[in-house]
Amino acid sequence: MSEVNKGVLVTGVIGSDTHIVGNRILSRALEQEGFRVVSLGALTPAAEFVEAAIETNADAILVSSLYGQGELDCDGFRDLCTEAGLSDILLYIGGYLVVGDQPWEEVRIRFRDMGFDRAFPPGTRPSDVTNVLEQDIAARRADAKQGA
Amino acid sequence: MGNATITDQDSQIRPLSQDKIPRDEFLKMRDENLARWSCGGDVDLDEAAAYHKAMVPEKHHAHVSRHAVATGACLTQPRGGFATLDMHKDLLQKLEVDGLADILPTTTDSYTRNERFGQAADGLTASEAKGRSLLNGFPLVNHGIDRIREIVDQVNRPIIALTGTAMPRMTGEIAYAGGMTGYLGSGIAYTTSYTKEFSIADGIRNYQYLDRLAALYLEKGVELHRRQPSFLTGTNVTPSIGIMVAVLDALLAAEQGVKHYGLELTQVMHPIQDAASIAACKDLVQEYLHRAGHKDVFTPVSSLHWMGAWPANRAQASAMVVYGGFIAKVGGAHNVTTKSTSEALGIPTPEYNAEGLVMSRMGIYLARDFTFEGHPEYQLEKEMIELEVRTILDKVLEMGNGDVAKGATAAFEAGVMDVPWSPNRGCQSLIMPARDDKGYLRILDPGKMPFPKDTLRYHRDQLQQRADNKGITFGPDLAIDSVYELSEEMAKLMPYPLAS
Repeated sequence: MSEVNKGVLVTGVIGSDTHIVGNRILSRALEQEGFRVVSLGALTPAAEFVEAAIETNADAILVSSLYGQGELDCDGFRDLCTEAGLSDILLYIGGYLVVGDQPWEEVRIRFRDMGFDRAFPPGTRPSDVTNVLEQDIAARRADAKQGA
Repeated sequence: MGNATITDQDSQIRPLSQDKIPRDEFLKMRDENLARWSCGGDVDLDEAAAYHKAMVPEKHHAHVSRHAVATGACLTQPRGGFATLDMHKDLLQKLEVDGLADILPTTTDSYTRNERFGQAADGLTASEAKGRSLLNGFPLVNHGIDRIREIVDQVNRPIIALTGTAMPRMTGEIAYAGGMTGYLGSGIAYTTSYTKEFSIADGIRNYQYLDRLAALYLEKGVELHRRQPSFLTGTNVTPSIGIMVAVLDALLAAEQGVKHYGLELTQVMHPIQDAASIAACKDLVQEYLHRAGHKDVFTPVSSLHWMGAWPANRAQASAMVVYGGFIAKVGGAHNVTTKSTSEALGIPTPEYNAEGLVMSRMGIYLARDFTFEGHPEYQLEKEMIELEVRTILDKVLEMGNGDVAKGATAAFEAGVMDVPWSPNRGCQSLIMPARDDKGYLRILDPGKMPFPKDTLRYHRDQLQQRADNKGITFGPDLAIDSVYELSEEMAKLMPYPLAS
């Protein structure tokens, strides 16, 4: 575990989805990279992600969805954050986000339009996330400083 | 609508125990249950029993399973379910005609699994309007008994309800009354694998209801197929853990009067370990049933295609589908639950699903009467599994003073029983499996489970070899590497060209 706190993250699997394995592996890898991880586990409602982010003053929320209904579960997620005063929070999503075989680029753009800063396709490994996450959080913090 | 209300009422009447629910009490429980949703009132047990009796034997899961065991056959059964009646009919037709499925599936959608029948109704209406399935399964409660029978009448094979849930009371009533002759699910396995907040005690209570219902049908002369899902979380579940849960769920079902109870084990994708696992499961379940005085319970074992992550490449996946049929037959399983080359991509089309069935069937054919019995590694694996299961189960039964329900709940609370990668808060999930260098699944960290010292040492020695050979630190990284392994691209699994 690193001594430097690279950021506070909220992780979990959204909606009625029990697929916990990848999310647990990711959470563990992020902790090893020096992030503080608040892991909500499987079957987590959208509101719980937001509440946890407020309580812990989180830098980012990382949502997993593996059962194809992520589009329904994440509808309005960014608005929930904004209403809760988390308008600048970084939002990531990853997994099997839609039903059926749809081109990834279309899926990515759809989730970007829903307010997710990054969307990760099936097969993403933790290292793919940690690298960009560190940069994104640093950029957000720099922006916040400038704004203040 | 909340299931909690139902179980709360139960717990006031009936403290958790393995005891058979008395008839009068059960009839009262049924009335309360069926009053929860409109089509519950349509269930007439005598009429349903008569409908089952009028069906040809080939459509009875129990009959077909007994025939498979008697003849040494391995039945094929896929998963699958779509929202609308027409789409679901079309699916089952293709699985039977093109896929040659021996048993047909009806997977329910996630709303139905969570008893959110109102939301399922909306999803069904939207699916019918749009002409495509917006639900990830067949909402069997919303369709109701008459429409299910329309499907049953159209097909020539038995139908099993696959409803991954800890709340089977309503779906069980409607599925069986509708003429489905099998139902997959059990109190310990599904609660620890499919729920987060649900207590194992409540999961056991809910399945005691379903098992008592199956026993009531039997009293009326209808033998139904009940089945238990010991694939658990499907993620590197080592054989002994699956078998421990299978035995406990089987004992609970037998106490309610069930005489026909299938057991499902996930393939670890090592034919010797899978064969040892299937054989040990058959023996151990009967051993513990006999010990408890249940000498006439029929317990066929199903082998499930790999339940972990699959390769996205269809050619790679097809090898796993064929191999899965082979492994089931060589291992002596009497049923194989099949997947398709679409597994890594999402829910398969009816065509890919049917293709997976035929691939598996060819694997079964090629296995012929081959067996690993007598192979030294097979003997060793089987003995280790048996030792592990007996050591821990005897402790579990002791913790319940002979009561399986009490022993199981106490054991999970103490971590004596555990399930790897479980989402359930009542499950410590400290146990960590990993794959060794020969491809066997081993126990990396037993958590608090009291495994025998000798087998634990063997597991660790084998894993140490993998750690050394692969340059991975001995620890959780071995487990994580094993989660991904079989889904990796071919180039990563084997160097190409080999001579370089």
